[in-house]
Amino acid sequence: MTTSTSAPVTAPSKTAVAARTKGLRKEYGSTVAVDRVDLELPEGAVLGMLGPNGSGKTTTIRMLLGLVRPTQGEIELLGRPLPEGAEQALPHVGALVEGPGFHPFLSGRENLVRCAAFEPLLPRKEIKQAVEDAIERVGLAQAAHRRYRGYSLGMKQRLGLAAALLVPRKLVVLDEPTNGLDPAGTREIRKIIADLHAAGSTVLVSSHLLSEVEATCTHVAVLHRGTVVAQGELTELLQAGGSALQVITPDVEKALSALRQAKISARPLGDGLRVELAGTSAPQVIETLVQGGARVFEATRWKTGLEELFARLTEAEEAERGMSAVDTLDGGRR
Amino acid sequence: MITRQFGSEVRWMLRRPRTIIGLFGLVLVPIIISFGIWTAGDDESGGGGPGLAAIIQGNGLVVPIFTLFLSLNLLLPLVASIWAADGLAGEAQHGTLRGLLVAPVSRVRLLFVKLFGLTAMSLFAVTLMAVVGIIAGTAFLGSDGMMTLSGTTLGTGEGLLRIALFIVLVTFQMVSIGAVALAVSATTEHPLVVQAATMTTIIVFQVLSQFPSLDWLHPFLITTGFPGLIDVMRDPIPLGQIWDSTLLAGCYLLIGTGLAAMRLITKDN
Repeated sequence: MTTSTSAPVTAPSKTAVAARTKGLRKEYGSTVAVDRVDLELPEGAVLGMLGPNGSGKTTTIRMLLGLVRPTQGEIELLGRPLPEGAEQALPHVGALVEGPGFHPFLSGRENLVRCAAFEPLLPRKEIKQAVEDAIERVGLAQAAHRRYRGYSLGMKQRLGLAAALLVPRKLVVLDEPTNGLDPAGTREIRKIIADLHAAGSTVLVSSHLLSEVEATCTHVAVLHRGTVVAQGELTELLQAGGSALQVITPDVEKALSALRQAKISARPLGDGLRVELAGTSAPQVIETLVQGGARVFEATRWKTGLEELFARLTEAEEAERGMSAVDTLDGGRR
Repeated sequence: MITRQFGSEVRWMLRRPRTIIGLFGLVLVPIIISFGIWTAGDDESGGGGPGLAAIIQGNGLVVPIFTLFLSLNLLLPLVASIWAADGLAGEAQHGTLRGLLVAPVSRVRLLFVKLFGLTAMSLFAVTLMAVVGIIAGTAFLGSDGMMTLSGTTLGTGEGLLRIALFIVLVTFQMVSIGAVALAVSATTEHPLVVQAATMTTIIVFQVLSQFPSLDWLHPFLITTGFPGLIDVMRDPIPLGQIWDSTLLAGCYLLIGTGLAAMRLITKDN
């Protein structure tokens, strides 16, 4: 497991890149919202962008869409640099950012027609059909004639999705798409993402619902405090970051100090320790423990899910007090 | 593409409940004025000063000009500021501005779409008031030609031409105020701030123009150009003041558009 600042965990993708950022930084006054964000979105991938509230997900997305100018850094969207290439790239990008935004006095359908009028890729004659298709696709047919004012949160979210899907897109960016949706709605969103993926579109989904990301994404990028702490293919990240060793030992203190000397990350857990296998291997850990005088009763390989990986990445600093001195996750940077 | 966007913009403005209510309110102005003069005329002993209201009696074609002239001081700037406020600040508030920018509409083009919507709707509102003024004025006060401030009487055709000219001049003043309001609108996402700022400015300008000691300032205040527009009612039309007022409004239009563009281009959304 490495950090973005050293070698990224990214599986060396031979495929083209739908979007890429380099050294992205955004300051609002004196607060730094996002710093050193190097994001890579491989073409055809479904990238889940994870991060706690305020970690810079939305700011990064807004910069990717040319809504916000970065203070520093470069952005490339569908092969064009932003903001100069925005007019060429953005027609191929559908986006739902920071919740759906529509006019309350217009019906859902009228709102979509207004959006469609500003879509460069949509010929005038096809507007009507495209709007009906989008409404159908997100399951809003029953409510399309009603005023947006009276929509439930879930219906608003669906309408936002419909606007993003008005035209066949190369890239679809969805910021918290399942906000306010019931379980059925969440499943439908998953299906839509799967359909987009199958049709060859690239999808960027930001979410703090991990099960969501685990179920739909091929790639993951984890943001924390305005920077990317890990990114890559989901399966690889889980293998790389998720493997740990649970060691049952009565000599926790001895074990911890031995591991600390060997610069292996570990923390007390239950009857023993949890040892991270990043940058080391199970035999090496056990050897270290035994040489340090700790009796090892049992050692089990611990396979983690995304939730734990996420927790470790984003709560590293908070958890640090309970861990041995070196946290290999963040250690490279400090 | 741009015509389609213009069309969408105007349709969107016309669909707003507040636009409909506003237009309805504006239309009431010439009707009330006509009615008021008609009732006042009954018991008038004659010999009133040679003001605009005095000339109107029995002279229905003056009603639209009188209506617009009165409305230009407060009502029309208010309407322009509402449209400008909804155009950028309102769209930002509802999150729809993001949608437009991601579509994408370039920011400069977006400003032109907004400016077009403002112009089209202003022209529509002013024309509507004038037409209702002509109808109401003729109905209540009768009409045989248009008596000018110079004492001559113009034929109906010539009178209608003067009204058309006045419509264009008033619309231009209104759009110029709206352009400055758009510049304010680009800086905030609270439409009320835009309306308050615009109306405060208009009122402060009118107060300032009352002080002779500030006469050096008066040529720069857009409101001091308003009274000169009434020259369309003279025969022949003296172009001096009309030209000055229009030029002043033109400066406001350019400055307002320029500031709005500068703000919009660098704005984070």
